[in-house]
Amino acid sequence: MPSPAVSDAQLIARVLVNDDRHAFGELVRRHQSAVRVTLRKLAGGNHALADDLAQETFLLAYRNLRSFRQEAKFSTWLYRIAYNAFLADARKMKELPLPDAADTDDLDSAEDVDATPVARSAALSVDLARAMAVLSDAERAAIVQCYHNDLSHEEAAYVLGCPVGTVKTHILRGKQKLKARLAAWGPEAQA
Amino acid sequence: MTMDRTSASDEWLEQALRADAREHAAAYLADDGFTARVLAGLPQPALLPAWRRPVVALFWLVVASAAAVALPGWFDEAFRSFAALVAGHRFGLVDVAVILTVLGAATCSALVYAANAE
Repeated sequence: MPSPAVSDAQLIARVLVNDDRHAFGELVRRHQSAVRVTLRKLAGGNHALADDLAQETFLLAYRNLRSFRQEAKFSTWLYRIAYNAFLADARKMKELPLPDAADTDDLDSAEDVDATPVARSAALSVDLARAMAVLSDAERAAIVQCYHNDLSHEEAAYVLGCPVGTVKTHILRGKQKLKARLAAWGPEAQA
Repeated sequence: MTMDRTSASDEWLEQALRADAREHAAAYLADDGFTARVLAGLPQPALLPAWRRPVVALFWLVVASAAAVALPGWFDEAFRSFAALVAGHRFGLVDVAVILTVLGAATCSALVYAANAE
């Protein structure tokens, strides 16, 4: 088993030169968690779908590894493949697990929560996850890449395959929608 | 400035997103057989890639040699005619043997090179 000191680039070279399956397995082990967690965010918490898409992501990465020119980090390249796989699936299914009316009406629950900071934080986290589900795919993806995966706007633009300005617009619109959905958690409602 | 006012009023949302992002970053999903499933889904490796090319070359060399042994007159005549055409004079048997030896050595070198390149 390769030592942790081996870089992604070295593992990729081993896969390309010798078709080293163990090296590719090490790459999968290193990045599976980040890719699966990201896809779970994109898929609105649908874990089974996210894992299927993650598996597809790594198979596509293996098939297209020669096209990886190292102009981005390997993880960023994987996010790009994962996002494209997610989009392709969304187009195919034409339906995503959107919350029903009862769910969305239930978001303004801030004042029902215990006053302890931990309880409030947990409740806000749940409401935020549900609010994220009502964003468009592009808005959710832009927020996930920039906030959750901590990518720069330029890196997010590479992953999403769109201009940097479009990423910023998606984030702005997404945050406006989140703000409206989570109004009960805002300073005005708390005052 | 409108942007500043908007940013200030959005601070709570920004904090909520950052907190969610920290949770996201801290979340680690155990492999639980995921890597094994991915590896099982990879396409089968190409068969015998390391020695396929030299073996194919050797096969054709053997076929050509067998044909040369089976049809000595035809090959001898063809080779002498070709050499005469190129060099402008006829070759003796010794010349032919030397040339064939050189060609054989070149072929072997090419095979070794191909095997190493693979």
